Amino acid sequence: MSADSSTGGQSGELSDLLDLRMPAESKAIAKVTDAISETLTQLEIPEEKRLEIALAVQEALANAVVHGCKSDPSKEVRCRLQRDSRGGIVVIVTDPGPGFSPAMLSDPKQSERLYADHGRGVFLIRQLMDEVHFEHGGNQVKMRKY
Amino acid sequence: MDISVRKRAEVQLIQLRGPLRLGPAVDGLRQVIEEAVGNGDTRIAINLAEVPMIDSSGIGLLVRFLASTKQRGGSIKLVQPSKFAVQTLRLVGVLNLFEIFDNDDAAVESFA
Repeated sequence: MSADSSTGGQSGELSDLLDLRMPAESKAIAKVTDAISETLTQLEIPEEKRLEIALAVQEALANAVVHGCKSDPSKEVRCRLQRDSRGGIVVIVTDPGPGFSPAMLSDPKQSERLYADHGRGVFLIRQLMDEVHFEHGGNQVKMRKY
Repeated sequence: MDISVRKRAEVQLIQLRGPLRLGPAVDGLRQVIEEAVGNGDTRIAINLAEVPMIDSSGIGLLVRFLASTKQRGGSIKLVQPSKFAVQTLRLVGVLNLFEIFDNDDAAVESFA
């Protein structure tokens, strides 16, 4: 995992508190999620909010690795953590994949899907974060927690 | 994640420590449960007291094996899930699929 903690940024843009890149393999996700959690702790974000953000990040990274990059470790996933002017937390996860349409996803709470072993990630992200935007054709997700 | 397994009264008691998430943690638990089921041990209680987070991969594993153990006359029951784990299970609509207990003893007795 390569990391960059920078304080610079162009006028009007949020500065990155963390800018992490990881190989697209599942065993690399924990380090990034834990780094995000640690930074949120240092920012004194309350525990409940911290857990919600960490889980949303975990889900976004998992989607990027598994679906965006087909678990190809030669590909790279990027995760940026920012804080906005009102103290809200912004996380941006980007992968080099072809993207997807969130509108095509099934509702995991439908009775016939309750026992499915996958398909809950995007749903959880939307439940845990206050704003979720899929950008660049779906290969970037921007999540905000107030 | 640390995983320890012991057997009591024909019930496999699995103790987890650490986040249950995609990667080695979910892979490890999958292996443990598959081995238990392969040996005919379909009565399983998983202690989640020291599991701060369960992601969708962990949830998928739990519901998948809940279904398969039930088909074989057993079940997977949860012990002391954290407040956040309960919240997560509730958010995705699967909390009510599971029986939940405050301690290992109660979970073991429920299989009698």
